Amino acid sequence: MKRIWHHPEEPRTSKRYWRSTAELEQRSEFLKTSGIEFPAGDTLSAEEQENSRREFLKVMGAATGLMGLGMASCRRPIFNILPYTDHVEWVIPGKPLLYATAMPRAGGATPLVVTTYEGRPTHLQGNALHALGGGIDTFAQASILDLYDPERSQKPMMSGKVADWERANAVIKKVVAESKKDQGAGLAVIVGEVKSPTLSRLLGDLKKAYPQALISRYEALSSGSAALAHGLVFGNGIQPVYHLGKAKRILSLDCDFLGLDPIAGDHIKEFAKHRSQNKSGAEMNRLYALENRFTLTGGMADHRKPLAASLIPVAAAFIAAELGESSAKALAATAPGSLTDWLKPAIADLKENAGASLVLAGSRYGKEVHALVAAINSALGAFGKTVDLVQGDADAAASAFSEVAAAVASGKVKTLVSLTPSNILFDAPDASSFGKSIRDKKVAVIHLGSSVNLTARKAGLHLPAAHYLESWGDVRAADGTYSVVQPMIQPLYDGVNEIEVILALLDKKVLGPVAAEEPAKAGAAATGAPVVSSATAYDAVRETFGSLVGGIKEDIWNVTLRDGFLKGSAYTVAQAIVNSSALSGLMADAKAAAAPDAGAYEVVLTPSSSLWDGRYAGNAWLQEAPDPVTKLTWDNAAWLGTKTFRDLGLKEGQMVTVSVGGAELTLPAIEAPGHVTHSISISLGYGQKNLGYVGSDTKGKGRGFDAYSLRKGESFVLTGATLTATSDVYELAITQEHNTMEGRALYREATLEEFNKPEYTSQTGMDSHIPPNISFYKGQVGVRSETNPAGFDYQNEHQWGMTIDLSKCLGCTACVVACQSENNIPVVGKDQVRKGRIMQWIRMDRYFATNEWGEGKADSDDVNVDPTPEQLEGAEMVMQPVACQQCESAPCETVCPVNATVHTEDGLNAMAYNRCIGTRYCANNCPYTARRFNWFDYNKRPLDELYWGPLSTPEKTGMRESVKLQKNPNVTVRMRGVIEKCTYCVQRLEAAKIQQKQKQRDSKNFRIPTDSVKVACQQACPVEAIEFGDLADPKSSINKMKASPRSYEILKYIGTRPRTSYLARLRNPNPKMPGADKIAVWSAKQI
Amino acid sequence: MGNFFPRWTNWLPLKLAIALAFIGAGVSMGIAYYFTPKYTRVGYEPTQPVPFSHKIHAGELGLDCRYCHSFVEVSGHANVPTNQTCFNCHGAGKGNIKSASPKLEKVMKAQETGQPVPWVKLHKVPDYAYFNHSVHINRGVSCASCHGKINEMEVVRHDQTLSMGWCLDCHRNPENNLRPLDQITNLNYQAKDLDRAAFYKDLLAAGTPAGDIAEVILGGKPSYDVKGVEDLMAIAEKKFGKDVSQLEVGSQLKKHWQIQPPESCAACHR
Repeated sequence: MKRIWHHPEEPRTSKRYWRSTAELEQRSEFLKTSGIEFPAGDTLSAEEQENSRREFLKVMGAATGLMGLGMASCRRPIFNILPYTDHVEWVIPGKPLLYATAMPRAGGATPLVVTTYEGRPTHLQGNALHALGGGIDTFAQASILDLYDPERSQKPMMSGKVADWERANAVIKKVVAESKKDQGAGLAVIVGEVKSPTLSRLLGDLKKAYPQALISRYEALSSGSAALAHGLVFGNGIQPVYHLGKAKRILSLDCDFLGLDPIAGDHIKEFAKHRSQNKSGAEMNRLYALENRFTLTGGMADHRKPLAASLIPVAAAFIAAELGESSAKALAATAPGSLTDWLKPAIADLKENAGASLVLAGSRYGKEVHALVAAINSALGAFGKTVDLVQGDADAAASAFSEVAAAVASGKVKTLVSLTPSNILFDAPDASSFGKSIRDKKVAVIHLGSSVNLTARKAGLHLPAAHYLESWGDVRAADGTYSVVQPMIQPLYDGVNEIEVILALLDKKVLGPVAAEEPAKAGAAATGAPVVSSATAYDAVRETFGSLVGGIKEDIWNVTLRDGFLKGSAYTVAQAIVNSSALSGLMADAKAAAAPDAGAYEVVLTPSSSLWDGRYAGNAWLQEAPDPVTKLTWDNAAWLGTKTFRDLGLKEGQMVTVSVGGAELTLPAIEAPGHVTHSISISLGYGQKNLGYVGSDTKGKGRGFDAYSLRKGESFVLTGATLTATSDVYELAITQEHNTMEGRALYREATLEEFNKPEYTSQTGMDSHIPPNISFYKGQVGVRSETNPAGFDYQNEHQWGMTIDLSKCLGCTACVVACQSENNIPVVGKDQVRKGRIMQWIRMDRYFATNEWGEGKADSDDVNVDPTPEQLEGAEMVMQPVACQQCESAPCETVCPVNATVHTEDGLNAMAYNRCIGTRYCANNCPYTARRFNWFDYNKRPLDELYWGPLSTPEKTGMRESVKLQKNPNVTVRMRGVIEKCTYCVQRLEAAKIQQKQKQRDSKNFRIPTDSVKVACQQACPVEAIEFGDLADPKSSINKMKASPRSYEILKYIGTRPRTSYLARLRNPNPKMPGADKIAVWSAKQI
Repeated sequence: MGNFFPRWTNWLPLKLAIALAFIGAGVSMGIAYYFTPKYTRVGYEPTQPVPFSHKIHAGELGLDCRYCHSFVEVSGHANVPTNQTCFNCHGAGKGNIKSASPKLEKVMKAQETGQPVPWVKLHKVPDYAYFNHSVHINRGVSCASCHGKINEMEVVRHDQTLSMGWCLDCHRNPENNLRPLDQITNLNYQAKDLDRAAFYKDLLAAGTPAGDIAEVILGGKPSYDVKGVEDLMAIAEKKFGKDVSQLEVGSQLKKHWQIQPPESCAACHR
């Protein structure tokens, strides 16, 4: 009997949750595809049609015939076993070996633990021993793929042509000789913002050797304004370290500290800890956010106000003035009334919690904003409590990038050495004129980089950079804790790192593989010249380490390598007070800004959630990871507020032209609820050409659109822009309407007071009237007992379960990428994403929510009224990761004709890929739409030739050798025609059980130690929102989470009995704020 | 119209049907026999690049399996030894045993060049089957259960089918293959060589109640009180005869070591 489940319609008089405005307004383009697991009726491109089905069959027939003739397939293939000739220390074939290291980054190192198999790193996780360790973000998680990127830079290049190391070394020799002669005049060195003590020490040596040289730090997204402001108001080298864990009230001035604008200080899990409470009366922190577009921080905020980025300095001034800072009064007076109404109760709340409150400002705002925020935090008594001031390292790289740019323009620079991970000819302020002066003044550029990007191609000499997993280095974390970066593998392509290049500039090293050094040495010996003793990065790091701990002590060195950091090496806390005269000086220069309007739009240039500043353009995992807010993959777009979008009469993906300050950019527009009107947000880093398939598409035309081209100065907020629509429509791959779930009360949230009422989540939505008929799908359910003999065995088996805390979940997609890395999930390419075939096992559902529409309020009876654009500007944003829910009574299992998906003893919904024949019945029957189908051999075929089948270009067919190295050896690489889905990392569970059995031997002690196994998404989650464990172990933390009154199962009423449950989100509104009564009004209305 | 078909064609359909039935039966039987791992795998005996004799090393010399396959107790893979292991005995300046033998030429060359000896893989399960040696070795399954009596093989031969059905036979009835942990690498082990008294003493010493042991022997609740080894010996002898039987050992170990081999797909397929 066929039964179609009619999900009860959600009463539209309550808060509405929706994925896109098309869904909210039930527009035809949404209804057309909604609820269809595999949207049919795609049209093939002309190219794809050429290789039609008939063609394919012809070729296949011929191929089969040939195969038969040769009978080659009847021979038993010979497989060889190749053991090591000499045993390798610590390596046990088949067992992972873990090493601690750190990822060098601008904001401070990310401490990592690397999983390696037989010498090849396969997966990254945070280092839990480190004070700032824990979950890691998407970029750190995905950075391992960069190591194996087949399109990364592999050879030195000279003016765009491949060269060898000998010639590269000759160029460097010449630079060294000239610099020695001229005391470094004409030499400019640009390094990244990474705080590496060895690099700093060597830069000091460089400055000593070549005193005239200009040394600067530059990364595209690191504005120096914060450091500059802190230097002025606190004193030189003093920087704040923020303690999110101690802050009860946080106000963010467009500081996406939970997402793309990390601050120096506590790991963000410390913030999230205060969001997850279960007992009534427990204390929660409260977050206020002001921002022009939705960020992850804005989504987490209890109170969020969309505010144009141009008005952020005014908001900062108003807060400072309210707290008694007289120099800010002039600017504060220009604050509009709607802003001051919102800010006043917030400021009162901050004041009430003085000593436990914190104000943060976006790192790319001007120095006056940072100076104001320092004054605000001082007035709030934050210093020594929620903010510590520390004394950082002295830095020889003292010149600003603008000085270098000016020197280049005036022809003073003869050689420019770029060691920064940024792409200076692409992303520098006013990159085109910078590039022009380099060309005109014939500046010789030496570039070190990991991709063959614009700077690499234009440089006189490009050197391939070693990945941080292949080279020695060292780095400080945000709090100053020292870590040694240790290599996991020999450089795959003989790359070098910036320490080695500086050593070469100091004439201490010959670059390149060891073999390249030999002829150099031999040549030197033959001519009687002194042999260059080639220093190594390892020696340089050891020397720095020695200076830190007072002589190289092997035991401390070994412990540092083992733990991944040096104990007690954090910065010391400094005493400082705000220099108010410096502040007034800064405020005197601050100009009042007008709110943007239809004649003068503002353009906000933002980091990309996938490419950061553009450096990850070649990383396929990141390109395909949907942007957390817009769910856009493989591209960037102009985010426009609903009002702007509709006033211009735009369609999704319609091209618009943004002109500002003489520059012009045409790019697709998307409607972004929660976005300020007359403001445009564009993420940076896209639009790079000729980076290979992943970075720039097959024809090298570039993915996305280059927003750096709009930037003519230092600022990231451009004002006075105009916006015009064109008639073209661009094809965007947005996943927000893919794999939708139907049903009621999927997402739940309430206030702290409300959730402890007995009728809260357990009785919300449909859960309150589930019929006694448990399930349509019969099977093994519940705990085995005398009354339920068919239940799961809790005595003799583990029983796995998961909870996801929506109070903590930011929606950052780190779990999505971690899952991809752990489970060998393929990337499918933009075209396939458009067809709804994305393979990621975890789907990060992002809902917007509104509780106001039309003239009336939430309880208006007229359900057909849609929210106005102004009401959509105030939309809320919530996140819900959904993967396979491991239903005990799984609808997928009953429909599989070949038993490829069945239940295990420990409650997993297992997937035997080798048995799957690809009927896709299971995916069609999954109410959570958590199953993915391999439409093509994504691992084997090049993504731009998927439709060619066996005709794909032979040299591009098959998995790249380097990519093979990344694969997890414990997970099958799936082929075409197979369904796949989350298995709770079954390989980790089996490994944990086996490890316990190795210990158990002849005893009965089969249960693994409590909470000793972690799944990949749980390990990656930076806020510890995911809890996983053994339900049959009474001590396990999963049982505590499941007992929370906030725990609920999505679509519980259809009786699937999922093992994954969610903890409803908590909100902590301030009742005095405007609109506070509308936050979390939902649960009461749903019963 | 004359008879278009000659008379003999009358029987043709029947003849064809019978012939087809025979052919069909023949083909099915042929596939059932020749296309199974039992035929295609068992007895596979490739020539190895180095004529290493397990018969001499593991049989006559009595080297323990784990001397060379050193990680079998901790890793999923039973590693093939590195050259260094060979050189512990054969290396010049070390054991120096037959270090000049031409049979060792390839090993010597591997040591010089660093290029490993390309041993031919014999026991191969499909890539999607994740077999783990350590969990079997640590829990009472011997090397011999899957690899046969390697200590009697001059050239190693594929002994068992290693098919999925064969795996499941044991996973469903593990008692047929379980043995005490000190006998795991004893390839000549037979249950009847065990000392019954010592076996039960060991079980009792591990803290297993005598009543539970008796319950397993009898296949149900014991009808009378059992005190110690003597009582157990008596009932075991009554049940299994004079010699210790495999079933007797296996069923005790299965029960008291809580051996519950997984039978779901996820145990081996990920």
